Amino acid sequence: MATPVMAGGFQAFGHVPAHSHYHESPLAFGPPHLPFRPSELASARYQHPPAGHFHYNQTTSMADAPFLTPEEEFAQLQKLSNEYEPEVTGPLVGDRQSSSAIATEYANADPIYRVKTQALPSKYAFFRTCRGDGHCGWRAIAFGYFEALLHVGDVAKFDVEEARLISMNNLLNLAGFSEDVYIDFAEEAYDLLRKLGGSLQVGNGASLLLEAFNDMGVSMAIITYVKLLASAWIQSRAEEYQNYLQIDVKSYCSQNIEAAVCEIDDIAVAALSEALVKPAGIGLEILYLDRSVGDEVNAHAISQPMNFNGLLPMIRLLYRPGHYDILYRAEDLPAPQQQATIHVALAYNNNHNFEEASPDANLLSMIPGMYSHNRFQTVDQSFGHRWPPATYDFDPTPAPQPHITPIQPYAPPPPAPVAPVSVAHQDFMSPVHASPISHQSPASHHSLQLEQQPMQLPFHPHPPPPLSIDRAPITVERGGPFRPSMYELEPGFGTGEVTPFQTNIFRNSHFNTCHFMNPSFQPEEWSPHEYRTGNKGRHKSASQ
Amino acid sequence: MALSSGARTNGSGGATVAQRLQKELMDIMMKPTPGITAFPDDENMSRWTATIDGPSSTPYENLVFKLSMEFGPTYPYAPPTVLFKTPIYHPNVDFSGRICLDILKDKWSAVYNIGTVLLSLQSLLGEPNNSSPLNGQAADLWDKDMDEFKRLVLARHKTPEELDAADL
Repeated sequence: MATPVMAGGFQAFGHVPAHSHYHESPLAFGPPHLPFRPSELASARYQHPPAGHFHYNQTTSMADAPFLTPEEEFAQLQKLSNEYEPEVTGPLVGDRQSSSAIATEYANADPIYRVKTQALPSKYAFFRTCRGDGHCGWRAIAFGYFEALLHVGDVAKFDVEEARLISMNNLLNLAGFSEDVYIDFAEEAYDLLRKLGGSLQVGNGASLLLEAFNDMGVSMAIITYVKLLASAWIQSRAEEYQNYLQIDVKSYCSQNIEAAVCEIDDIAVAALSEALVKPAGIGLEILYLDRSVGDEVNAHAISQPMNFNGLLPMIRLLYRPGHYDILYRAEDLPAPQQQATIHVALAYNNNHNFEEASPDANLLSMIPGMYSHNRFQTVDQSFGHRWPPATYDFDPTPAPQPHITPIQPYAPPPPAPVAPVSVAHQDFMSPVHASPISHQSPASHHSLQLEQQPMQLPFHPHPPPPLSIDRAPITVERGGPFRPSMYELEPGFGTGEVTPFQTNIFRNSHFNTCHFMNPSFQPEEWSPHEYRTGNKGRHKSASQ
Repeated sequence: MALSSGARTNGSGGATVAQRLQKELMDIMMKPTPGITAFPDDENMSRWTATIDGPSSTPYENLVFKLSMEFGPTYPYAPPTVLFKTPIYHPNVDFSGRICLDILKDKWSAVYNIGTVLLSLQSLLGEPNNSSPLNGQAADLWDKDMDEFKRLVLARHKTPEELDAADL
């Protein structure tokens, strides 16, 4: 939806590009613009004309005008091209994956895009796609809202949010929406809040959320609900918002927000942020990937997060003209305990089902060094359609390892600046593994192996959920490449028993020599002796 | 564009549409709006027949118009298909009963329902949008020769009884 509203000074968005309502495939922006896209010519709407005569398919709007001059012909084709919308595919909300995939996507595109996308993964390690069906911006913010609440991981917070949303019915009523009409949509949002709040005990919130947003009924209801909230918010502050609009607030809301298919524009982003995101204490930032001058994406902070015991829940959106996806910084993600829901992640990614084939394969893949063998097998499988072979940096085969208690043994009495982290956090991270090209995978895989005794694993009972996990506030920057690590809290830290720099953030950063992007890249090696002794003590304390 | 491709992801979509339409039917039965009726054709709920009374002090006064409504699996996120079954002479309706009304196309919103659609159509009868007519002659006459317009409206109109007799 083009924005007719950029006029007199919505300062915060001053240099935001106008939305072009043309969609989705970034490649459409990269290569030189053809007057028509090849797929257009191939589509059934147009058939190759015999020389000199132009016969249109019956289904075209020009069926009644079979003879055209070349100019008309060209104009007609251009019109078809302009109206062309690629068929939208993919999940409504995708799994979290490494943002190096974006760089790969743009590898052959315009140099500005190439530079910007290559700089992306170092700052914003992960992203999640939203289907570009004209709702992606609404969907991305709504999804981010729920995901950020999961990140905070406080059951009470979900209750508070439900109460707050219910109280906003007054606002909707005031804007003239009938409760009969909106309550169905609102209920879906309340339900999801309740479900996610309940999931904190179990720790399956991330998969519930993804499932909900991939259900067309639920997802559309929630999108409709947040649209109504944005509309009601604007209408309740009509004088304020009128300054940014060229048409009256009521028609703006009905055409650009309430209309069933209309992409979110800057005004609506601001309104939705004020109505939904900011009062929940969640930050919202939009990263603009466009052809503007610069080496990286332009960031715009729409709202600032509140501090929840050291957690700063953020929604980050990647904006490419006409489309929004969700971005993550590594520190947006909670402490790494991502193995718990690996089955869920695999379920989305049937490329890799062979790992589940035999328990032996699982055991083998847990031995460091063996996974690289697996890697080459699956690389071939997973390259089928989406991923070009440039993505050598990953291990797509984290074997399902459900019985894992990596962190629990490290629970000495909490020192002062420590945030309690509930079970849900462990999960929050999990979809990373669904991605075939997460460069996090090799590292986390390793850390896992160092933390447990492989032979016992299949028989190890499910651990009780850790009640409190000591975690240094990872969002605090300390200068220097090293971040605080939970291992610092462990007795014997630094005595050589445990490899010192083990936070996942460090492991996944290019400062780690085990990271492929490190100039002095050196793959991690397995030392059986260290491995076993390092592990035993911890394992014992876990079972007591 | 969006919803058509997404429908497949929602196995429960059909049930949800039916539920929503059930609820709308309840509302219409409990709180009938004067001048408007609507009822599903069968248990399937996806096709409805509605009537609207021509608004007073318009050329359509005292006339009753029958319409068909069809709801797709993505309703209410996509508009229903609405057609005039009663032949009508109107600037924004063509001779097959197709209607040109923005809220039935790109301005559709999920907050609309059967009642609001029918009310919008009723008001369209009295306030045609002559800038984008489907029936150019009607748009012309509306501005220039209201008497002739009325004559043509009446000439074209058929009562529901006549329609039934003709089995339309």
